[in-house]
Amino acid sequence: MISGSAAIAGIGATEFSKDSGRSELRLAAEAVRAALDDAGLRPGDVSGLVTFTMDSNAEIAVARELGIGELTFMSRIPYGGGAACAVVQQAVLAVTAGIADVVVCYRALNERSGRRFGQAVASPDVDSGWHHPMGLATPAAMVAMIAQRYLHDYGATTDDFGRVTVAARRHAATNPYAWFHGRPITLDEHRSSRWIAEPLRLLDCCQESDGAVALVVTSLDRARDLARPPAVIAAAAQGSGAGQFVMTSYYRDDVAALPEMGVVARQLWDQSGYVPQDVRTAVLYDHFTPYVLMQLEELGFCGRGEARHLIAGGGIELGGRLPVNPHGGQLGEAYIHGMNGIAEGVRQVRGTAVNQVPGDGPVLVTAGTGVPTSGLILTAA
Amino acid sequence: MITETAERLRQAGQTGPRAGRDPVNLPMIRSWLEAMGDTNPAYERDGLAPPAMIQVWTMRGLRPAPDEQDPLGVMSDLLDAQGFSAVVATDSEQTYHRYLRVGEEVTVRSRLESVTGPKRTALGEGWFVTTISTWFVGDEPVADMRFRILRYRPAPVVREPDSTTLRPVITADTAFFWDGVEAGELRIQRCGECRALRHPPGPACPACGATKPEYAVAAGTGRVHSFVVHHHPPIPGRRGPFVVALVDLPEGVRMVGEFRGPRPAIGDAVRVFFDQGLPVWRPDRPVLPTWELPVTPTLIISTALATRDFQNVHHDRDAAVRLGGKDIFLNILSTTGLVQRYVTDWAGPGAVVRSIAIRLGTPCHAYDTLTFTGQVAGDGEVEVAGRTATGVHVTGTVRVTS
Repeated sequence: MISGSAAIAGIGATEFSKDSGRSELRLAAEAVRAALDDAGLRPGDVSGLVTFTMDSNAEIAVARELGIGELTFMSRIPYGGGAACAVVQQAVLAVTAGIADVVVCYRALNERSGRRFGQAVASPDVDSGWHHPMGLATPAAMVAMIAQRYLHDYGATTDDFGRVTVAARRHAATNPYAWFHGRPITLDEHRSSRWIAEPLRLLDCCQESDGAVALVVTSLDRARDLARPPAVIAAAAQGSGAGQFVMTSYYRDDVAALPEMGVVARQLWDQSGYVPQDVRTAVLYDHFTPYVLMQLEELGFCGRGEARHLIAGGGIELGGRLPVNPHGGQLGEAYIHGMNGIAEGVRQVRGTAVNQVPGDGPVLVTAGTGVPTSGLILTAA
Repeated sequence: MITETAERLRQAGQTGPRAGRDPVNLPMIRSWLEAMGDTNPAYERDGLAPPAMIQVWTMRGLRPAPDEQDPLGVMSDLLDAQGFSAVVATDSEQTYHRYLRVGEEVTVRSRLESVTGPKRTALGEGWFVTTISTWFVGDEPVADMRFRILRYRPAPVVREPDSTTLRPVITADTAFFWDGVEAGELRIQRCGECRALRHPPGPACPACGATKPEYAVAAGTGRVHSFVVHHHPPIPGRRGPFVVALVDLPEGVRMVGEFRGPRPAIGDAVRVFFDQGLPVWRPDRPVLPTWELPVTPTLIISTALATRDFQNVHHDRDAAVRLGGKDIFLNILSTTGLVQRYVTDWAGPGAVVRSIAIRLGTPCHAYDTLTFTGQVAGDGEVEVAGRTATGVHVTGTVRVTS
């Protein structure tokens, strides 16, 4: 049982921008150093490094830049943003197994000024060969296929997608670290934004960002002695569904669902002993708005197809029934492949978030949707 | 200045009648039919003009006299003076109340509907000018047309998206499918042991574990399970917006493919066809035989002259190249005529064309092959598309009655 055995002891990030003006390796080094400073640790204390398979920065390069020295644990998680919470799980496993004492998870990317994920690229992957040549070649279009069916199956409308963005932008408006700080939007602005891939509009798609985030994981015992109050990892889970594809799980009976998130959810509730009603705030992966609705359903915050009722009337905004993404999410703050959401979860547990959600209940964090994914439940010690 | 002039012209309303140079006459009809390659005998036999010729009767000729009244001419000159020096016609929607008879005298009256811009287009920054024209015989309106042109500042040439970058990924496990596409068959993997069907395919059967893949040939029909209309960003080899559908096959598997036709709805019946090595879906309704037309310089020049369009880009290669084209290209009146011919060749000489609405995409240059495809869209409605290797030259709807 890993619940409660480890904690996030430090968080660090670069600024979030559209053009960092520096290498991804430098962003990684800056974020890792900031996370270690936050925890009150030195590079020499680190014995493990974990990142995404998509990250371009070698563990040994990051170690060299920071003077980390010897490493006993290195691991990477596949499937894009689905890795975000799973890298923390890797760290927990290493720490609990006694393989590493302090593990740093990092993700650094120049996703706006460098390679943009939203563009169509030729892929040698066999699975993509059933979709890319047919013209379905961008993440937005792949999600739109699911979203269209969701609208059809459950009577939701594109306004329900828009409400997710309105909430995110409201939260980002009061977050000085958010790209969209001071720039809230109305539902009408969502309605008039241009089509990207119907039924998705521009304002249904998250930002493209440059930046890096790093997280320091260590045992709860050690974390108690460090500079910051520990964010206890009450649950850490990974999940893939039957008939799973990357962004194109179109061949299962129910297309408008996220069974892989259901796999994660069951483990999170089992490991932590919490139920959805306990959750104070949820940081849900929001690269595209429809998946926020579908996650609320898979995680058990409402029934299948009922998320539009939960989000109505500001239900996921600050002061609502379940505030979602108080930092503004990837729609409002930045797209750091879900890692900035984990940092927000830690701040909410510490009580230091710019949009602090009151209460002492656990904080739920999820990773990329439409792909094999992961999740965390964080609590105060 | 542009918007003020546009508003003044719009307020001025319909122009006075302007007469065509000649009455409707058999020599011009014959030249037009010959240039279009249209062998429909009904026109000569009954002394009627092909409806798609309507604009020809009032074309201004080689040396048009200045006309302060003409809203399209005034807007064009003004935009030209402001640096929007290049022009293409983008839309033509013609409605024919009746066919014209040999000997009738035709007049035309026009009004400005709208001027919108500046807009960023694939060609460059520009303004769309839309006019409505009505043709009369005496006081009787015989045809209407909404006509849109784009006046633009030619942008630096952007390399055409490479149509070869997003190709199928062919492995030992998937080759049977793509061999099927080449053979004009839609194949579904079938387990050689338990006979279970599966798509996308793979080396081992998830149902029984056997590694004996075979295939079945699908009926080629299906229903739309979901779809997207892709707008942005550009996809190599495609012009947006286009539709990609997820199709439920009656055999029990799903497949993703491009969909061509009017916007679908979930549940719509579709049928597969094959284009450029890919399966493509379209509404499960009757289709017109495909027509491949080699576009020779002679075709472009003879049709331009038969439609009394003397713009140099339709007959003078040097001028066309100087203005940024790769060669001379078809004019919109001729594209309209070819669309009419495609539909009436299929519908037969007894068919009466009620309207032709077309939108132009990529230019059709000399030495292109223009491939027309068409499909019955509804009662008396035919959807037509004409493609070249570069992209979609024309899409449109033709209404016919018998």
